[in-house]
Amino acid sequence: MTDLIPYLAVFAGGFVGSVHCVGMCGGFACALCASRDRSLWRRQLLYNLGRVSTYVFLGGLAGLAGGWIVHEGAGWGSAPQRLLAVVSGTLLIVIALQFFGYRLSARLGRAAIVTDSLAAGLRSVARNPRLSAPLALGALNGFLPCPLVYAFAVQAAATAAVLPGMALMGAFGLGTFPAMLFMGFGGALLGPRFKQAQVAGALLLVLGVITLARAMLPAPVHGGHV
Amino acid sequence: MNGELCRHCLLPVRRGGYAREVNGEPSIFCCYGCALAFQVRHGQGEEAEAVGLLIRLGVGGFLSMNIMLFSLLIYTGTLELEDPLVVHAIHWLLWALGTAVMIVLGGPFLVQAWRALREGRLIADSLISLGAVAAYGYSTLEVWNGGDGIYFDTATMVLVLFTLGRYLEAAGRARAARSLAPLLAAERAEANVVGDGADQRRPVIELAPGSIVRVRPGERVPVDGIVIEGASQCDEAILTGEPKPRIKTAGTPIYAGSLNGTGQLLVRMTAAGQATRWGEISAYVRRALARSSRLERLVDRVAAAFVPAVVVLAVGVVVFWSQRLSFEQALMIGLAVLVVACPCALGLAAPLATGQAIWHAIERGVLVRGGQVLESLARVRTVAFDKTGTLTQGVARLEGVHVTGAISRNEILRRAGAVALGSEHAFAAATVEAAQARRLSLEPATGVRAYPGEGAIGTRGPTRIAVGSAALLVGRLGWICPPDLVVAAQKSAADGLSLVYVGWNARVYGVLVFVSDVAKVAKPMLQALARQGISVALLSGDRPEATRHVAEDLGIEAWQGGLSAQDKVVALSALEKRGPVAMVGDGLNDGPALASATVSVAVGGATDLARETADIALPAEGLGELPEVIALARRTRRTITGNIAWAFGYNFLALAAASTGLLQPVLAAALMAGSSLFVLLRTIARNARQGRIQVLQPITESLPKARLAR
Repeated sequence: MTDLIPYLAVFAGGFVGSVHCVGMCGGFACALCASRDRSLWRRQLLYNLGRVSTYVFLGGLAGLAGGWIVHEGAGWGSAPQRLLAVVSGTLLIVIALQFFGYRLSARLGRAAIVTDSLAAGLRSVARNPRLSAPLALGALNGFLPCPLVYAFAVQAAATAAVLPGMALMGAFGLGTFPAMLFMGFGGALLGPRFKQAQVAGALLLVLGVITLARAMLPAPVHGGHV
Repeated sequence: MNGELCRHCLLPVRRGGYAREVNGEPSIFCCYGCALAFQVRHGQGEEAEAVGLLIRLGVGGFLSMNIMLFSLLIYTGTLELEDPLVVHAIHWLLWALGTAVMIVLGGPFLVQAWRALREGRLIADSLISLGAVAAYGYSTLEVWNGGDGIYFDTATMVLVLFTLGRYLEAAGRARAARSLAPLLAAERAEANVVGDGADQRRPVIELAPGSIVRVRPGERVPVDGIVIEGASQCDEAILTGEPKPRIKTAGTPIYAGSLNGTGQLLVRMTAAGQATRWGEISAYVRRALARSSRLERLVDRVAAAFVPAVVVLAVGVVVFWSQRLSFEQALMIGLAVLVVACPCALGLAAPLATGQAIWHAIERGVLVRGGQVLESLARVRTVAFDKTGTLTQGVARLEGVHVTGAISRNEILRRAGAVALGSEHAFAAATVEAAQARRLSLEPATGVRAYPGEGAIGTRGPTRIAVGSAALLVGRLGWICPPDLVVAAQKSAADGLSLVYVGWNARVYGVLVFVSDVAKVAKPMLQALARQGISVALLSGDRPEATRHVAEDLGIEAWQGGLSAQDKVVALSALEKRGPVAMVGDGLNDGPALASATVSVAVGGATDLARETADIALPAEGLGELPEVIALARRTRRTITGNIAWAFGYNFLALAAASTGLLQPVLAAALMAGSSLFVLLRTIARNARQGRIQVLQPITESLPKARLAR
């Protein structure tokens, strides 16, 4: 049972982070519900299936990559693994701060051309009536740059193996499931969600700090697992 | 930034954030993802092209990712699978997923390749089809026989990468074409027809003149007509090259193809579709785009030979390596060879760049006849100019009239005007104008016969009137010119003015003296050409003195005057020895010369025939555009040759690397997609719009310099 605790933590992280997911990707889920309502359940499920599938894939890749960085059998506590945990914890803290309103500003410039084309493409996919469209949208959506996903992907890399990486990202994806389904059916955003954002931000902050702490503390404290 | 919310997810943005303009409104977002998501939901852009490809990509990606996952698990030994039944089950699962991918992603390639094969051709799709089918087929056999050489992950990843490459190509091409779309859409335009009740949207070809059309703000005007209600400003750049907006109110004419500003207009239609200038330009551009240049045809031939060569190479590679390694490994090397070859870059290189260049020219009001024209123009070393109507303003002015004896100036004008009424020459128009300014009634002469470069002879009543050069009246007709007129004429000639002799009844009675001001833009334009390393020549049918005057004024060293149309052709072929020559004229007495030049350029005031048949037609007052068009042609040529050089270099190196087994198939596919994408992005970036130029700003000495300094 204790082996599952890390995964539960990640699940919670996904659930909590859904506040952000709802904000950003809820838009996509909403765009899907603009089509015929009869197949709404199927479309939403396909969409989320595609999304979570991509996350799991990223997790597997991350785990593989992590495995290269961290030599097999090095176990918890090796320097590269700590480094990955540090990165992950930092990313989580950064996202938590975003929930409180502190962002890193970004400039796009020329890449704006890519955004416009990408946005137009995704918009057309979302409106397409075929059943394959939600699945495609979900699969592509999962690749969109999202700091939350990256934070957990780094954690997946820290597991240094394919299967745990997959499982970790799968847990994350499942954590976002409820909120995304809700968005898909609910539709309208219920106004500014300061309070929820701050609670979520606080929880993510705690998660980030814990991850960082575990990266810094000596090995025996952990009990040998992520 | 305090207190602002992300426009999409409504989370607070206290510091930093991400500003973007969406639908014309500046908005702030908390992150790139929100900006993108907002655009997806609310953006009002054009429909994306190749959506089908994108959906396929998503579904194919989904399936492939699952294949990869299982393959990863097996490959890293994570699943400790000792039970052969489980292993077998997983292999069958992989096969099922792989088959789905072959259908979803491989289907289109296979269909295209099969079609081409039936026509006896091998195309790029044939390569990927062959490779994917080989890898899939082999892996299926292995699964059937319980073997281990399963390569579904390789085959599917290759297909995903190829589809990604295709999608990027299609999106990029669509993006480039989107800017051309309004120009090509004249006949397919739709209009909001006002009738009883709500507006109906109908295609313009169904409408009859007199229909009332509503033009909304920001819309492209679909028909020619008169505004009957409303007020707005319209951008007519597409038709005239002039970006200054024109005010449109009740009673003003409005033209199809122009872009409406912020007001709504009700228009009574007079013409639509092909009957409008927009329609003409559309048809012109479509023809221009369809004409492939020599270079494009060469590239097509090379590309056609390339694909079979790669197939042969791949087969040879498999045979070679299967004697040194296992068949599986040899197969994978062969797959890499098939997949890494990129003939797409070759096929993509020229049309995209050419299409964009033609569009850029159109935006300036310059009509380019086809890709070959740009190619030739890029290689031009000399530009020859006609004088009257080209370097000098198309409008001549009558400066004075020399008379002799008792004949009045008005009488001279009346008679000259009678013959001049039928002529398009600048002097004829000036004569008529001067006559009308003096309120002289003009009776058109009959039986007017024109002698190009010399003048015209017509009859009014019993009198035979001749208007033209001394060569016509004195030389050809043998009429007498009184000495006082000769002296007066010589004096004007020495001043560099242009002379037209008027006579009847076998005597010369007057000399019309014309001045054609040199076009203000001529000198800066010539300086710009000099900076581009182009030599300039002046070929004129006017007298040598007048020609010399203009040549000195403009600083042209190579000039010849008194040339007939045939003489100009001879002069051009002499210039051709130095390299391709462009001839700029108005078609009036340089028709044959224009036709014989490598590139013919008709100026704004040229005859309709000249503009129709010329390689390049400049807009009215557009002489200054010439250096820009040449620069555009050179830039395009460099882009195309650069792309071709890349295509050859890349293919050579990549095929070599693949043949020696250095490249894994998936890596090969990634390289191939990368190469296509590189060519695409390079072409688009190089030809990206560099900002509008006001063509009709007050033309100052510094203007062309400023343009070329970019």
